[in-house]
Amino acid sequence: MFLSLSHLQAALLFAFFASIVLGVVGRNTDKERIRYGVTVFGYFVAAIFGLGWLMYFGHG
Amino acid sequence: MPKQKKAMPPVQQWAAPVLLGWLVPGAGHFYLKRWNHGGLLLFAIASMFIFGLLMRGRMFEPQTGDLFTTVIHCGGYLADVANGALYFLATWLGYQQQQMATAVADYGTKFLACAGLLNILAVIDAYEIAAGQKP
Repeated sequence: MFLSLSHLQAALLFAFFASIVLGVVGRNTDKERIRYGVTVFGYFVAAIFGLGWLMYFGHG
Repeated sequence: MPKQKKAMPPVQQWAAPVLLGWLVPGAGHFYLKRWNHGGLLLFAIASMFIFGLLMRGRMFEPQTGDLFTTVIHCGGYLADVANGALYFLATWLGYQQQQMATAVADYGTKFLACAGLLNILAVIDAYEIAAGQKP
């Protein structure tokens, strides 16, 4: 079985799993954990799209 | 005034959750009765590892040479081994892939290594909880 994902799908999947772990270990209360996890995921997504566009324009 | 170093807690206080957490992602938290956190860690780290395998990611093998090669391969190997039983099972069952020149396989390799790095974070968290440094 071979899973063929696009760059975007793979990066979003990575961001999803990494955000869960960072959320769990990064804060001390459950409310803070959820907030931090969602924030980290948002930063991941922003970085994915930001860097994507940067590469698009930088490529010429 | 310089900060005083805290004394390290006794080994028997944190050895079991750290060892279990390394062997099975989230098991250190299960041992400490943090069921929800352990479950989330197990789900996230094991899923990332399995997706890495499904994308035909490659496990690193220790290799020395120039500094860059040594850092990448030895560091990557340590990150893979940090997956604990997942890594040993995958290599034992023959899921170690040959290097493939595709973007997806490259992502898979990163998924495998990053799952290990995230497991290190989980183990450190289990250590801090067991040592009483975190609520």
